[in-house]
This record gives sequence, C-alpha cells and structure tokens, in this order.
Amino acid sequence: MLSTFLNHQWLAFWRSRGKAGTIAAQLILGFVLLYIIGVSILVGLEMQEIIEKLLPGKSVMLVFNGMILYYFAIELIIRLQMQELPTLAVVPYLHLNIHKRKLVNFLNLRALFSAFNILPLFVFFPFCILHIGSNEGSLVCCMYLLTILSFTIFNNYAALYFKRISAQNIWVVLPGLAIIVAIGLLEYLKVFSIAAFSNIIFHEITVLPPVAIVFPILAGIMFFINARFLRNNLYIEELKSGEQKKSSTDYPFLDRFGTAGTLAAMEIKLILRNKRPRATVAKGLIFLIYGFMFYKPRFIASAQFHMMLFPAIFMSGSTILLYGQFMFGWQGAEFDGLLSNKVSIKTFFKAKFLLLTISATLLTILISFYGLMSWKILAVQFAAYFYNIGAGTVIVLYFATSNYKFVDLSKGTSFNWQGVGASTMIMALPLLIAPYVIYYPFSLISPYLGLAALGLIGIVGIFTRNFWTDFLVREFNKRKYKIAAGFRERS
Amino acid sequence: MIIEINNLKKIYAGRTVVDIEKLSINPGETVGVVGNNGAGKTTLFRMLLDLIRPDSGEILSKGINVASDDQWKSYTASYLDEGFLIDYLTPEEYFVFVGSLHQLSVKDVTAYLSQYQDFFNGEILERGKYIRDFSKGNQNKIGISAALMQDPELLILDEPFANLDPTTQMRLITHLKSLKSGKLTTLISSHDLNHVTDVCDRIILFEKGKVIKDLYTNENTLKELEEYFSH
Repeated sequence: MLSTFLNHQWLAFWRSRGKAGTIAAQLILGFVLLYIIGVSILVGLEMQEIIEKLLPGKSVMLVFNGMILYYFAIELIIRLQMQELPTLAVVPYLHLNIHKRKLVNFLNLRALFSAFNILPLFVFFPFCILHIGSNEGSLVCCMYLLTILSFTIFNNYAALYFKRISAQNIWVVLPGLAIIVAIGLLEYLKVFSIAAFSNIIFHEITVLPPVAIVFPILAGIMFFINARFLRNNLYIEELKSGEQKKSSTDYPFLDRFGTAGTLAAMEIKLILRNKRPRATVAKGLIFLIYGFMFYKPRFIASAQFHMMLFPAIFMSGSTILLYGQFMFGWQGAEFDGLLSNKVSIKTFFKAKFLLLTISATLLTILISFYGLMSWKILAVQFAAYFYNIGAGTVIVLYFATSNYKFVDLSKGTSFNWQGVGASTMIMALPLLIAPYVIYYPFSLISPYLGLAALGLIGIVGIFTRNFWTDFLVREFNKRKYKIAAGFRERS
Repeated sequence: MIIEINNLKKIYAGRTVVDIEKLSINPGETVGVVGNNGAGKTTLFRMLLDLIRPDSGEILSKGINVASDDQWKSYTASYLDEGFLIDYLTPEEYFVFVGSLHQLSVKDVTAYLSQYQDFFNGEILERGKYIRDFSKGNQNKIGISAALMQDPELLILDEPFANLDPTTQMRLITHLKSLKSGKLTTLISSHDLNHVTDVCDRIILFEKGKVIKDLYTNENTLKELEEYFSH
C-alpha cells in the first residue's frame, strides 16, 4: 500500500498542471541541496580544524558540544518556516477502504524524506566517529550518534506537529513566537545559554553514556503525539481547517477613514483568512529577530548605521516588501468585482496606503524594543520607518501596477513561485538600494545627517501623498485592462 | 437612451468576438441577450463594465464613455461570475461591504435582506461559512441579491439562471418581472429561451459577435428563437 501511495505521488508530480515550473523549481532546489550537502560533508570532516582555526585556544570538544543544541534550535525555527506538510494529498483516499492507520503511517513515513533530516547526519557524524570514537570509546560515540539522530527526529515531528496545530488555530503561533523571542533575548543578555546547556547534556553523556537513552524516548513521544493528532484529525474539513463557525468581524477603528478604511478592513480579513497571505505576513514576524543578528555592539558604538539600515528597513517594512510584492494579485480572484463596484481607483490606492502604513507602524512599535540596547537603534529604525511609509509604499504600489499575476491564496509560501513575475522579482532592489543612495552622501559628513536625510525623504513622501496617489492612479489606468485580464488567467 | 454602443469591436487572436455597429438601449427596458457559446455575450458585458478595453468603438452610458469616466458605477450593478464575489468573506460581511459603498447602514442591509428570505431559502445567511465554501448555485444567489440591493438604474446579469434550482429560478423570474415597473433597465444573458422570453420585453440575438436579430417580444418570439437555434 505504501508503494502505491508513493507511486501516486510520483504521478501527481509529473502530471501536475504547472509541471514545467515545478520541475524547474525542484531542479534549482536540488542543486542548492547538493551544494549544501557538499558543504556539510566538508564541514563535518574538517570540523576539528575549523573549530581550532575559528576559535583558537578553546577546547574543541567544548565548542562541538555547545554547538549541537544550538544547531537544532535554529533548525527547528527554519523547519517551522520551510518544511512542507504532506497532508492534503491524502484527501482522495479517505473515503476508500483503507485503514486510517495506514494513511497516518504513510504521512509519517513521507515526512522523513526531507533534506532537513539528512543534513545533521553529514554535519555531526564524521566528527563523532573520527574524533569522539577514538578519544572516548565506541560506546560514547554510539550514544552521541543516537542522541543526534533523536534530536533530528524530534525536530522533524515537532515542526510538523506545530505546523498542524497552527493550521487549525492561528493563535498558537503567538505563544510560540513569544518563546522564541524570550530565548533569543535571554541568550542575548547572557542570562541563559543554549550552548552551555548543550555542553552540560553532552558532558553528561560522556561521563555516563546510558543517560542518552532519554533522547530517543523523547523523540518517540513526539512521534506519537504527532501521529495521534493526525489520526484524530484525519477528516476533510479538519485538514482544511474549516470546522469552526465563521463569524462576521468588524474593525471599527478603520471606519473613520471612510471607504478606504472599509477596503483596508477587507484586506486585513484577506490576510487573516487565507493561507498564503497569512504565512507571508507571519514570515515577516520571524524576520523581527534580524535585530539580534545585525545590531552588533561595535556598530552601535561607532555609529556605523549603514550596517544597521538594512535590518531596520527590512523589519519595519517586511509587510510592505513581502506582502506588497504580490499586490494586487492577492485580490486577483475578485478583481473584476472590485473594478465594477462603486469604488474609485483613488480610494482603492488610499486603502493600500492605509493598510501598508498601519502594518509598518505596528512593526515599528514591536521593534522599538531594540531601543533598550541603544537609543541609536531607535534613530535608525524611525528613519527607516518614515522612509518605508513615505517612499517604500510608493515604490511598491508603482510596481504593483505592472504585476499581472494572480496569486492562489490557498497554497503555502515555501518555495511557492506561483504569482512571481518580472515586477515582483526586481521590486525589492530599488526598495532596498534607494535608502543607501540617500544615506551615503550625507553620511560622509555625519552618519546622523544621513539618517535625517532618509527620514526627511520619507516625511516629504507622506506630505505629498496626494500627488503620488494621483500619479499611481494614472499609471494604474494605463494598464488596468491588462491587469484584470492577467488575473482572469488562473493557471 | 441609457446605453449607446457605436462601432464596438473586440478581436482576440485575429478572431472578431464582438462587432456591433450601432445598438441603443432605452431606459426601463428589460433586454435579453441570447446566442451560442462564443457569440460574445460575456465579452460585451465585460466591456459594458469597463473590464476589457474595446479594440475600437465606444460604449456610452447616459451619454458618457464608460472607459473614460467612473460615473456609471454609481447607478450600475452587476453580477457576471464568482470573480465578482469576495470569497473569503461571509455573505453578511459581503452584503454590508457592498451596502457601505452605496451609503447603506448595516440596518438598511439587514432590512433589505429580510425581504429575500424566500429567495435564499434559509441557505445563505447565518450559516457560518465563507463565500468560497458555498455551492455555485448559492454563490449565484449571493451575487445576484447583492447586485439588486444596490437599487441600480442599470442591472447587468450574466446567465443568472445557471446553477440555480428550479424553485429559485421561478422566484428570480417573478422578482425580475416585479422590478420592471420602475425605471430599471436590465440586461440579462441566458441560454434558457423560455426564461428570457418570459422576463424580457426585448431580445437581442448574437452570432459570432454580430447582432443577428433585435426584436420586441410577442407570442411568436420563442418560436422564432427556437427555429434559429435548432438548425
């Protein structure tokens, strides 16, 4: 039975409608994967030399032990973003004479075929076998391998489990995000260290190898939690996550903006109620940890704002960039209706400005917590914020007037290139390069002046918004038939 | 004259889809547009709503070219296909949205919808579903009733009877007839000859984009049409 399922999947892939695109995507993905595997093998084999070179004077074992849990913590976050859920393919089999257990087994087995599950083996196994095996004996080495394998499997099913419950109830994402941010913050403030914790675990394994038995047990528990959840929820409605009653919602706050507010409220509903825009915006939230990676104390101390400008623009404008990229394709399905309704194009654009401004404002408030590190960060972020809402929005909406690709709202985001067109590809360039063009000449005098110039451009953009709206309406009217026709092609 | 079409042409890949030299529609008329697949009915409707650019010619609505000015939107309501519905909204939300564009309060919308209870047959409101989860027939009902709610002077419906159950079809016919007394101008396309001749007082027959027949309905119209379509 399992082989029949695999065969069907194989056929589904080869007979899919957008085959050329899928194959091209898979090929590129395959090359990227091969490259990553190659690098992993090299890193795995040369682990000792690499550690000695990068961190001279530190004990290789200490660094290696500390690294393992760190790797898996980051891997879990990446998995939550990218790992595919093999669920929907199962729907046509549910009404047939096949035991549910078999379907669940198939889904669980297929979930193991993921690049995420191979990489740690390449990265960690060579060092374990070559180094730990000869120094600490084969029992310790085996326990290391067992523990790393268990972490891999644990992560695999944990990621799938969280993706599944978050597909049913979007709000579980919030505590999850809070935990990630909290751990990141603790790590940053040096209160708690994943590396130190990892060290304790693996030191314990070296001293007392049988302790490692705990980890396969944990992995097994995760596997069973996931399998049980799947078995209990293997119904069409639940796979589609649509069983709870949908109620009407209002955003009274937006009423004061008139029709533009009504349209913006609708687009908020579009984002919250459809998989792809929801995932796109959620992705923007994940990027909020960029600050921890880019805001280095030495950059802050020496006011090297060019190093901090990119993350600031990206974090405060992630919705403008990621969501705006596919505009108006999100509304492709009802575009004819929007055009023939009593909505003027100008109002339509005002609603877009409103939506993007609100989202950038919320994000900027969120990332203001980085201000705890230094007030300079706040200065960078507010300059970026004004640039984003004053100039970034105009750039994005301008590119949107030459985007003719309909976006399928019901699909996921990972490696989903449906809806990507020429305009979506090049849009990010001006949006991210322009700030540097503005900042650089002034920063030669003083980096603070550079920031002021950037913020000022944004503020000018906000005050001349009426002009830009008229400009966008003209551009839109030039191409509106082409846009509407493009959205009618749904393949 | 509410609609005036002059030398309208639309060509797709070398094939003329719509080719109307002159056609005018008077206020208060209920016009049925009939023709086989590919006759250009939907393309014409889309051009009427400024969704497709004509290759040449113009459509005047109350004397103003629809492609140059949005004026017509304030008195025109339409439902062509599911592309007119916002499928991630509940029907209630959609009605309130469309109502708000015409300055109708939530109360007005509720009051309006209450008169459609028979038409909805208890299947549309308070079902706790998004529009995308409704059947095609019920989506049709939502679109048509949202169009009627706008209290338009010009109503454009593309195959409104398709996908509807027989009872609802009858109810829709009665309702469309009851609207006829006012100054409402209606354009309906349909493949159901019985229904259009029943509802409309003027029938325009299209073939390959051209107007073949333009007649005011009388007792012989149905026969005439059946004759055309049977050969």
